[in-house]
Amino acid sequence: MCETCGCGNPDEVNIHKPGYDHDHEHPDENSHEQAYSHEHEHEHDGHWHTHPHEHAPKKVINLNMDILSENNRMAEWNRGYFEGKKIICFNLVSSPGSGKTSILEQTIRNLVSSYKIFVIEGDQQTTRDADRIEKAGAPAIQINTGSGCHLDANMIHSALHKMEVENNSILFIENVGNLVCPALFDLGEKKRVLVISVTEGDDKPLKYPYMFKSAHLCIINKTDLLPYVDFKVETLMNSARQLNPELEFIQLSAKTGEGMDEWYSWLLRSFEDHQNLK
Amino acid sequence: MHELSLAMDVIGLVQREAVKNGVSRIEEILIEIGDLSGVEADIFEPALRMVMKDTILENAVIKIDRIPGKGRCDSCNLEFEMKTFFDPCPHCQRFTSEITRGREFRVVSMVTA
Repeated sequence: MCETCGCGNPDEVNIHKPGYDHDHEHPDENSHEQAYSHEHEHEHDGHWHTHPHEHAPKKVINLNMDILSENNRMAEWNRGYFEGKKIICFNLVSSPGSGKTSILEQTIRNLVSSYKIFVIEGDQQTTRDADRIEKAGAPAIQINTGSGCHLDANMIHSALHKMEVENNSILFIENVGNLVCPALFDLGEKKRVLVISVTEGDDKPLKYPYMFKSAHLCIINKTDLLPYVDFKVETLMNSARQLNPELEFIQLSAKTGEGMDEWYSWLLRSFEDHQNLK
Repeated sequence: MHELSLAMDVIGLVQREAVKNGVSRIEEILIEIGDLSGVEADIFEPALRMVMKDTILENAVIKIDRIPGKGRCDSCNLEFEMKTFFDPCPHCQRFTSEITRGREFRVVSMVTA
């Protein structure tokens, strides 16, 4: 059964590099301890008897364990790996079609001559996005989640075994397009970047508060379409700030390039700050 | 729909803890779900029931404790009930409150058979 939606199989998660035959890896399965059943036979030769049946007394085992702790532990492992290698990692989250890949393509074309950039792509199917990223000039690895709706820290860990991310580089993780599930799963990123496009409606913070609450930066993309849609930038910003007063905003159009410089400045400021960490 | 993946995490967590405690069957499990945790109890419970089959938790009673959300106002320090992230402080109407309860999502305890 799929570990996410119940309609597939965890074996469906595939990690592949563009241009290579896909191979297939799945993380260690939890060893399934069989609940032992005890059998006892006793003959009853026509007679009836009662016999005491000793059971160990019931015991309450207090756990008080966070269910997300497994993912969080692996996320911390990833974070430690990034810190050690001075890699700054950004987790890009959004609805499908907000323009994450287009923003990344432009970013790579503009910065790849001066910075080392790597990308982990998450989608249910195909290597289309990883192919686009490699064409733009950065090494990429594609995670296909099968029927899964989000990336988790373990998938990122496995991807890091397949793609050597160099020291002092920028790593983008492009999450599965979904404003719900990825909000709950820390991947070990330094900053979470939420992309909203103006064609989606300015009420997204009201509808998907968990994602807005967990993000560091909100990119408002496709601003070239603002004259044609009923999207009020202020409305979105106000409701998002109610949830998350620290949230930063950048308005841009990956298509026309307007506002992209502000994004590069934010990105490189974060990168430099991270490099200067002791 | 991340509840099923979380239900499978519960199975893994319980199996590991059961082995540590030398337990072979669990009769009851108590889980806390905060109203602001991002996990829907009404989806999570059937998901857990589904994945419990053929595990140490088969036929176990699932008890779910819902924890209502609470926030403390940054400004006046009032603690108040929060049904959503958008509930302002009832005293000063500010939205900048720290969530003090309701984000819990954990296995509290289990009862061995």
